[in-house]
Amino acid sequence: MKNHWYVMALIVFVVMGAGCENSEHDVLVEAPIKTTAISAPGPELMRLWMNSCALCHVTGVGGAPIVGKFDDWADRLGQGNELLLKHTIEGYNNMPPLGYCMACEKDDFAALIEFMTVGTP
Amino acid sequence: MRSVTRRKFLASSVLAALCGVSGAGVAQPHGQQATPWRNWSGSVVANPAGRFSPSSEHQLADFLASTHGQLRPVGAGHSFAPLVPTEGHLLVLDQLTGLLSYDSSANTACFAAGTRLSDMGAPLARTGQAAINLPDIDRQTLAGATSTATHGTGIDFKCLSGYVTELRLITPKGEVHDLTNSSEPGMFDAARVGLGALGIVTRITMQNTARYRLKQTTWVDKTSDLLKDFDRQASTHRHFELFPLVHSEYSMALATDETDEPINNPLQSPEEEAGFDLIMQGWMKVPPGFRGPLVNALAEQIEPSERVDESYKILTNVRNTRFNEMEYSVPLHNGAACLQEILETIKEQKIDVVFPLEYRYVSRDDTMLSMSSGDEDHAAISVHRVAPEDYRPYFDVIEPIFWKYGGRPHWGKIHHLGALQLSQLYPRFEEFRSIRQQLDPQGRMLNAHLRKIFGVDG
Repeated sequence: MKNHWYVMALIVFVVMGAGCENSEHDVLVEAPIKTTAISAPGPELMRLWMNSCALCHVTGVGGAPIVGKFDDWADRLGQGNELLLKHTIEGYNNMPPLGYCMACEKDDFAALIEFMTVGTP
Repeated sequence: MRSVTRRKFLASSVLAALCGVSGAGVAQPHGQQATPWRNWSGSVVANPAGRFSPSSEHQLADFLASTHGQLRPVGAGHSFAPLVPTEGHLLVLDQLTGLLSYDSSANTACFAAGTRLSDMGAPLARTGQAAINLPDIDRQTLAGATSTATHGTGIDFKCLSGYVTELRLITPKGEVHDLTNSSEPGMFDAARVGLGALGIVTRITMQNTARYRLKQTTWVDKTSDLLKDFDRQASTHRHFELFPLVHSEYSMALATDETDEPINNPLQSPEEEAGFDLIMQGWMKVPPGFRGPLVNALAEQIEPSERVDESYKILTNVRNTRFNEMEYSVPLHNGAACLQEILETIKEQKIDVVFPLEYRYVSRDDTMLSMSSGDEDHAAISVHRVAPEDYRPYFDVIEPIFWKYGGRPHWGKIHHLGALQLSQLYPRFEEFRSIRQQLDPQGRMLNAHLRKIFGVDG
């Protein structure tokens, strides 16, 4: 028998992401976050980032742009910071509204976006 | 600002009261409007006066004792029901996280209530423990998941709340209660599934088991055959569930069992992940009436697949595609008939949906308001619609079918029941209402949705 991609899409739909989640758990809990090449965020910003953005922006799960991977961010930044902020707060495609940061206000999101995009040409 | 001081909270509450505002326009003390809140799917929106994130239980208790404004706790925002919206303040436990203590001999572990389920597996594994069962999605916080009776699948397994052995509840008055089955059992039974209406749960001890590995086998078969054999499969395997493929005669079955086999759980490739949305869009362009024959023709070509990993990596999944969901739990003996009627209704009415249903078993428990509380095991049936599509026309057709079979709505998912209907579904509903009234006589933890659920005027 041969797998068929049409039906597999539905199968993927219900089991998708399991593999991604596996690596994500390990990264989140067991691996140190490398920040030296990106910027030096304060501990409060880093705590917010660890609790929310890092869930997806470390591994790129769901198509999320990866922190420090400039190519992932260049086109997005090209649309302007205001649009990025709007998408963060309202949600966009697979990204949920507020990016899992229930405690964040607009200024926090702006700082988190800046942290993740510092150095992007 | 994310974490307001008590003074700022009081000031903003006064401002809100003086202005008589509702929602948008509630001022922050420094003149800034709080950032609107939305749930994970984006379907529930609120304009809180502000957010409060306590750095300790002591600070939280002090805050509650010295303020009087409206409050709603929020976990990960994964509820589709409007449990969170408030014109007062959101209370976020993102600073109360992590493993606090554990007992290796009893296989119990205490976590701060703001800990995400996804952040529990690895620390537990290091202590030699693992959760007995987990829900499909693990982004939720422990308090959010238990407070809404979130569950996985397995005829021998209760919802998460059924495995809570102890919890700390800080009441709206700032009083601290450490609850167990032996100390204040009534309040314990209520607070394990408290909907955030009794106060703030700040720490939770869970009954776990020794660390274990799972093997999950996935295959596709005819839904009618799978349902006939469901009880046998459910009693044979540690976990068993179905994902019926709508408009077709087929379902995907997942059987999961403990194993000592080596880990084999390959990552999904970026290409597979990137192509998924496109494929789903393609499916959605096929008229509903034509989807069935296509799926039926292709389903038999699907080969079974297997994966093996640590239990917490098999039981949970990341759901990238955002959706809205309705789920009801019906008495076990009604499960198959209810599911079949839903599938037939979708087909007959040509409802334009591609998202598979989900069919699971959940064991009974002794909480007051879990969907499986009481003397009967339940079958949980879920319907989904991709966000931001309007879910209402679909869910409005399906919900009465759940009612017909005695369904209890998942507290975190979309439903339209009020106090009258709920009181007939839950034998201890009045007991819960009495405890809620005792702990929060002013109703500061209530919003419009909870007032409807508990039949509280205001």
